[in-house]
Amino acid sequence: MEKNKTSQDSIKILNRRSFIIIILGIFFSLVVAVRLFSLQILNFGFYKKKSVENKVSVKATPPLRGDIYDSNKNLLAGNTSFYEFVIYKNLNKNYLKEIKKINSLIGLNLNIDEIYKKLEKFNPYSAYTISKASWDQIVEFEKNKFLFTSIKIIESKKRFYPYKNLSQIIGYVGSSSDSSYLYPKGIFHIEKGYEKHLKGSPGKIFNEVNSKGKIVREISIENPIKGKDLHLTINLELQNYNQSLLPISNKGSIVIINRLDGSILSMNSNPTFDAQIFEDKDNDKINELLNDSSKPLFNRAFSGFYPPGSVFKPIPALLGLQKNLINETTEVVCKGHSSINDRNYYCWKKRGHGRVNLKKAIRESCDVYFYELAKKTNINDLANLATNLGLNQKYNLGLSNAQKGLVPDKKWKRAFLDEGWYLGETLITCIGQGYNLTSPLQLANLYSALLNGGKYPQPRINKNTEIEYLGIPFENNFQKILIDSLKAAVQEPTGTAFKLNNLHPDFVKIGGKTGTSQVVRIKEEEREDDLYKTKEIEDRFKDHSVFVGYAPLDNPKYIASVIIENGGSGSAVAAPIAHKALNFAHSLNV
Amino acid sequence: MFKDIKSLLEINWIYIFLLLIIFWIGEINLYSAADGNLEPWALNQFKRFIIFLPIFFFIIMLQPKFIFNISELLLILIVLGLIGTLFFGYTGMGAKRWIRIGGFNLQVSEFAKIALVLFMAKYFHKLNSEKTIGFIKALIPLIISFALFFLVAIQPDLGTAVIILILGLIAIFYAGINLIYPIISLIGIALASPFLWTLLKPYQQNRIMIFLNPDLDPLGKGYHIIQSKIAIGSGGQNGNGFLGGSQSSLDFLPEKETDFVFAIFSEQFGFTGSMIVLGLFLIFFLIPILKSFKLSQVFNKLILFVLSFKIFFEFLINISMTIGLVPVVGVALPFMSYGGSSLLSNLIICALLINFMSITEKKRMFS
Repeated sequence: MEKNKTSQDSIKILNRRSFIIIILGIFFSLVVAVRLFSLQILNFGFYKKKSVENKVSVKATPPLRGDIYDSNKNLLAGNTSFYEFVIYKNLNKNYLKEIKKINSLIGLNLNIDEIYKKLEKFNPYSAYTISKASWDQIVEFEKNKFLFTSIKIIESKKRFYPYKNLSQIIGYVGSSSDSSYLYPKGIFHIEKGYEKHLKGSPGKIFNEVNSKGKIVREISIENPIKGKDLHLTINLELQNYNQSLLPISNKGSIVIINRLDGSILSMNSNPTFDAQIFEDKDNDKINELLNDSSKPLFNRAFSGFYPPGSVFKPIPALLGLQKNLINETTEVVCKGHSSINDRNYYCWKKRGHGRVNLKKAIRESCDVYFYELAKKTNINDLANLATNLGLNQKYNLGLSNAQKGLVPDKKWKRAFLDEGWYLGETLITCIGQGYNLTSPLQLANLYSALLNGGKYPQPRINKNTEIEYLGIPFENNFQKILIDSLKAAVQEPTGTAFKLNNLHPDFVKIGGKTGTSQVVRIKEEEREDDLYKTKEIEDRFKDHSVFVGYAPLDNPKYIASVIIENGGSGSAVAAPIAHKALNFAHSLNV
Repeated sequence: MFKDIKSLLEINWIYIFLLLIIFWIGEINLYSAADGNLEPWALNQFKRFIIFLPIFFFIIMLQPKFIFNISELLLILIVLGLIGTLFFGYTGMGAKRWIRIGGFNLQVSEFAKIALVLFMAKYFHKLNSEKTIGFIKALIPLIISFALFFLVAIQPDLGTAVIILILGLIAIFYAGINLIYPIISLIGIALASPFLWTLLKPYQQNRIMIFLNPDLDPLGKGYHIIQSKIAIGSGGQNGNGFLGGSQSSLDFLPEKETDFVFAIFSEQFGFTGSMIVLGLFLIFFLIPILKSFKLSQVFNKLILFVLSFKIFFEFLINISMTIGLVPVVGVALPFMSYGGSSLLSNLIICALLINFMSITEKKRMFS
């Protein structure tokens, strides 16, 4: 009986302990249930997203970039195929051996250690580029193809620039520093300025991948859309011809525009460069280019700013006519210099031009006439008019390094040099020296404005843009006087550029204005010595030779603006080049 | 040695039915883990089940008295087996856990759990204490529990070792040890844990650190937990449907047929499916325990209670592992994880439970 009682007690203890453990077990089950509820119901969205991210890999496929054509549909920038050796790690465990093998067999000169290091962390199912493949290398590889299982040749696209002479307009593309940009981006000139137009939109391939990154199936594809083509106003033939006109030994530039619609027909600059080296990633040549002191990347047509010299003179002339400071018959006597407060300002012609009216002043480029006019001229009015005639503007062409240049006025001088304006400065400004800085493209537009009577078409390089007009019209009578004078400068025997007619009698007749852009202010003693005219002066101190001309005479269409750095006088160097360029443009009838 | 054949009529067929349902769910799950293939897991596991069935019924038919008599002998065999494993064991995954017996790689530690419980049952039955048990009387079970823990832990297989130790402690607790001792022990462990930390191997410390923050090593040790949580979480309320789990089919989930088999299930069948499995295991747990309340012999009660607890406990630990509630310690999901030793030992446990549920107690049945 006693035994039975103790047994009953012990059972009670056991059953009580059971309850404790059962309650703990049920409590733990509830914790598990709550946790599952939290994962599967409350945070379902979060984990669903993770699960999709796990399995879907999006691969972008780069779009083809739009092609760039000249005005005659010649291809200036397109896309071309190139070939690369790539490796897929998953295809052979001994892929490292294959790299060594291909390196010695084909002579790729690879940095093997670096490739090993990078490959280690690379997705085994993606192509890793080992090296570019030349045609000979591809042939060699194909012969020994059986030796390689993980190395393949793949085709990719790159930019193709067939004409070196256009690199300074087209620019080039390069890899973007922005990592969200998966394909090359325009980084210079037209390629940059028209990036949005040219770039197209990338395609996307959505793949389902397994945990090792292997593609299990393709889910969907969005095809890439090729960028839009761009048609330029540039004429390839003219551009190539004009490049040949530029003397190799001198830096310089030729710009030709159509004054009727503002089209830029050519813009040459010497020296030039080959944009293809950026696409070929030829680092030696790129470094050489970047370190070249003659700055071949720099297109002097719109990034080169020089004092315009005498080609500036029509502006003060027009201002004088508008302000009634002079008329067609106003005469000045040129004795070789003009003076203010005992300081002499010399004419280029030491002996003087004698009696000079406006036409003669432009025809023979008399400085004294413009000094006398300058004495009555308000510099702010002059700057205003110059701006209306196309100087001091960037034009927004989509080209890199575009700048405004400089047309000085009182406000500018106060702001930048913290000085008042001197009358003497008006004198040298009126003959295109001093602070004046203009680009060859701006000078071409200045003459377009003059020939168009003030209202002129904005320069454009994209053929498909609307023609927009700039400037303020001026009196027809003034226009006639100016055109008459510019014609006389070439066509009348005393004109500064008359000898063009002897040089090329069968060329189209042109009008225009010579200029000499002074590199160093010539001291009076040197003028006395006539040293500055001799050949012995060091080349880099020689003046820039400038000419802006137009053709044909009767109904001008083409305007050529030429600068040859350190070329000497405008009539000797720049004018004949401009004449050839205009004659060629005229014969092409572009 | 054997019961009367008529005793088969007393068998709890509901329990066997539940066992078959759980095993069947496990089979379907292994089929889906292989992307809708019977190979390499589902068919193999089924073959094992069939091979093990005679053992299952053999144990059901054993006389409780026979089991009572051989329980010490079993423990000795197991200890020898564990020592043998250390010397002649087959090495896999960096540990000596298996011993080769007649074409099977047996994980002796799985059976150590059963032997320990049988030994405890007999020990406390004989003790037949009228009051709570003092420390001295619990000393032998404690020493044996720790000895088995040690033998398994040095394989190393910390997960199984900890389960063995916990089963031993639960048995001692259930048998009625004075509550003072467990309380003191818990406080002691809490105080000693910084010291215990230094005893852990670096990889074990690492596992615990990563358990606390899986993002420490998202592609390494934390990868299991992160991917498992993604699989389970993305199952949502009703799951992605049968064979619809991308985490599983695209191999994002490692050890998906063993430790993380629940994630495969939950990704396909969602919260609803998970709750059904949880419910099934809970009922499966409670059926033998309800019977144990009706029995009065300590041997019978302890076997029913602790062995049933063992299956449910491993179930909870395994699920908790896959949902990041406890560190990944390598505990199989009973009847659902792929693996022979785990299946055999759990079948033996169920057979024992069925056996003891069907007995009618008599006085002096073990004397």
